[in-house]
Amino acid sequence: MEFPKNPTGPTRRSMLLASAGIALASALPASALAQAAKVPTGPIEITTGTSPGGTPDVLMRRAAKILADEKIVTNPLVVQNRTGGSWMTAANFVLNKRGDDNTVLCIAQPILTTPITQGLPTVYDKIVPISMFIQGDLILAVRPDHPAKTMKELVDAAKQRERSVKVAGAQAGSTDHMVTALVEKAGGVKFNYVPFDGGGAAQAAFLGGNVDMIVMTPSEALPLAQTNKARLVAILSNTRRTEPEFKDLATAKEQGFDVVWGQAWGLAAPPGADPGIVKFWDDAIQKLVATDAWKAMVREMYLRSEVVPASRAVAHMAELHKLHHAVLSEIGLAKAPQ
Amino acid sequence: MAEILTALWGGFELALTPTNLLFIFVGVCLGQIIGALPGIGPSAGMALLLPVTFGMQPATAIMMLAGIMYGGMYGGTLTSVLVNVPGEAASVMTALDGNKLAKKGRAGAALSISAIGSFVAGVGAVTALVFVTPPLAAFALKFSAPEYFLLALLGITATAGMGSGSVLKALLAAVLGLLIALIGMDPIEGRPRLTFGSQELLDGIDFLPVAIGLFGIAEVLASLENTKHAEPMKTRLRDLWLTTTEWAESRMAIVRGGLIGFFVGVMPGAGPTVASLMAYVAEKKFSRHPERFGEGALDGVAAAESANNSAAHGALVPMLALGIPGSASTAVLLAALVLQGIRPGPMLMTQQADLVWGLIASMFIGNVILLIMNLPLAPLFAALLRIPYAYLAPGILVFSLVGAYATSLSLFNVGLAIGFGVLGYVMLKVDLPRAPLVLALVLAPLMETSLRQALMLSEGSPSIFVERPLSAILLVAVILSLAAPLYGVLRRRFSGPAFPGRS
Repeated sequence: MEFPKNPTGPTRRSMLLASAGIALASALPASALAQAAKVPTGPIEITTGTSPGGTPDVLMRRAAKILADEKIVTNPLVVQNRTGGSWMTAANFVLNKRGDDNTVLCIAQPILTTPITQGLPTVYDKIVPISMFIQGDLILAVRPDHPAKTMKELVDAAKQRERSVKVAGAQAGSTDHMVTALVEKAGGVKFNYVPFDGGGAAQAAFLGGNVDMIVMTPSEALPLAQTNKARLVAILSNTRRTEPEFKDLATAKEQGFDVVWGQAWGLAAPPGADPGIVKFWDDAIQKLVATDAWKAMVREMYLRSEVVPASRAVAHMAELHKLHHAVLSEIGLAKAPQ
Repeated sequence: MAEILTALWGGFELALTPTNLLFIFVGVCLGQIIGALPGIGPSAGMALLLPVTFGMQPATAIMMLAGIMYGGMYGGTLTSVLVNVPGEAASVMTALDGNKLAKKGRAGAALSISAIGSFVAGVGAVTALVFVTPPLAAFALKFSAPEYFLLALLGITATAGMGSGSVLKALLAAVLGLLIALIGMDPIEGRPRLTFGSQELLDGIDFLPVAIGLFGIAEVLASLENTKHAEPMKTRLRDLWLTTTEWAESRMAIVRGGLIGFFVGVMPGAGPTVASLMAYVAEKKFSRHPERFGEGALDGVAAAESANNSAAHGALVPMLALGIPGSASTAVLLAALVLQGIRPGPMLMTQQADLVWGLIASMFIGNVILLIMNLPLAPLFAALLRIPYAYLAPGILVFSLVGAYATSLSLFNVGLAIGFGVLGYVMLKVDLPRAPLVLALVLAPLMETSLRQALMLSEGSPSIFVERPLSAILLVAVILSLAAPLYGVLRRRFSGPAFPGRS
């Protein structure tokens, strides 16, 4: 799922808020704060809507493995791929598991966007969000033979003639599409967005020289940049990445274009979930992200792992929904009213 | 050259370790079974088993998964030939002639030539992988939306000449297939089309329930009519092998099918299905007895089967050289690498040389295992047809319906399969060919998406189809394929009545 980074960063502020929350909670009567974690019995299903090997699937499997290896969760964890209907098959499965202790849903962008673009009832406000804890950056890249070296030069090139800069991306309403729309808005230009059947096909079109620009994740972009098959123009995060491979890549913001967008994934419980279960997962994820294995994975896949805990997750999801609705309305894809 | 051979030797050393050998064997056996079962194709089977590979060494995992990929191409033949239910999309062409052969008691020959053809084409394709992957990958990238559109269009026009009936009837069936393909999400704008608000129709109508219904169920329905002739098929055991004449006739079909399959497979975007269709159509042009195509041509089976296996291998070219998936199956292989923490990309062949060469070596080994497995099995499976059809028919029906259920674990697809079974029966009765419908359904998404992408890339100008050299060549091929039957009709009309018995 894509969304602008918390404008204040990862962040001390949110940690302060969280501790403020704890302080507040301790002032409340014991009954309210003594929400003990409830450990589910038996195997737990983590439902995802992608086929095996899709990014959310890989992340959930890695998370499940570390949770089990480090004995944070001792129940057997099964990652189930319930594909179809752009994540709605997975979402509906979990929506129908009302109050079930042994099912959680992986939250990804289509949980928000599919209802908006298809005019279906919203999902985000019916599930019980547990935590958003993985974020991915996005990078704008152009062909190595393209004249643009910076965002400004790219936008200037697009200004010369409307739709002259071609962009390859995934299906309509995807991250790539939304990012392109945001860049168009910030730069006051119009690109020629050509949707392909997924990121792989878009990359093939880019590498074959059929388009000028593409949106990639850092781990997709790195091998192409190293072999001089793509020139990275900007990273769309709030701050630069710190790895030596990416530290020289300026953010769009630094280059004067206020485009901040990324991907994010998390977990949610079915509607009517026991607060004890939410607490159990909230705690488990806090422990998960502190493990060395998790940190290594985050480094290796060039992700970020900033936790939005259960206490803030509901408001956070509502905020994300608003942002996605706004961008999709901009591209003319929002079918559902706000 | 010497470096390549040393690297390949290293690959064999890796692939021949006991664990890896075991998992290559497991992979190809699973592929064989998955390919034979209608319902799950190789890529879906690989995706299902992907989580199992999580704890394995990267090389072992990828060798096993690749085994499923090409094993599936061998397995798909079985059900196509024996019961006329294509186990996966790439076997539709095989069902066309293979099942006719089975009805003539030549199932053993069809299965043997498929195994041999797949083997020769598979080994040939892996050898090509060893030597020409990087330059071929650069060539494959020259193919983009305009070329894919014309390739798919060529496939649709080629279906016109399919079967033995009239061109008009074949095109009619193809158009029906195109219409069915319109149902579902618009591939460019993402809006629902002809779904009538149904969630089930949002993903469109899958090819498998349609193929299962049109071929398998329709066949069973039609068989209910002739209860009187429910004799078992007479196949004597000694008829189960290839005759020398049959081999002589199919040899070149294997070579041509293998070559066409490899080149089509290399292009990301066109897969084994398109490859087997192209090879079949080309073979009909080369064949000395084109009239047999659709009625049980062994060389047609040989070409289609060789092509789909070499295409499955060819799809590895863009994957290994550039890290982009060349097919649904290679997309799963790439996912397996990602799951193992390996970042695919243009540097895969240099950074993960051991893994890549191990994979290539494993494919030589896997193809040998599959040949050894399939040759003796061919007569054995063919002997299944000696069971009286009255007992076989309910089995086929159950098998078909379970297959339809397995595609998405929903009863909706079972209903679809039954519905298309009835449609297939009607088509049989009015003598409309069924293969063009299925092929049009498979080709339509590629055709529609790439036409629209091409026009978006050219900002609306159709000149994109003539400006690009490869497009221009394909356009000429499309025009020729349309003009050739027309020329035939005109010539017949102006040169008096045709000879009886010809055409």
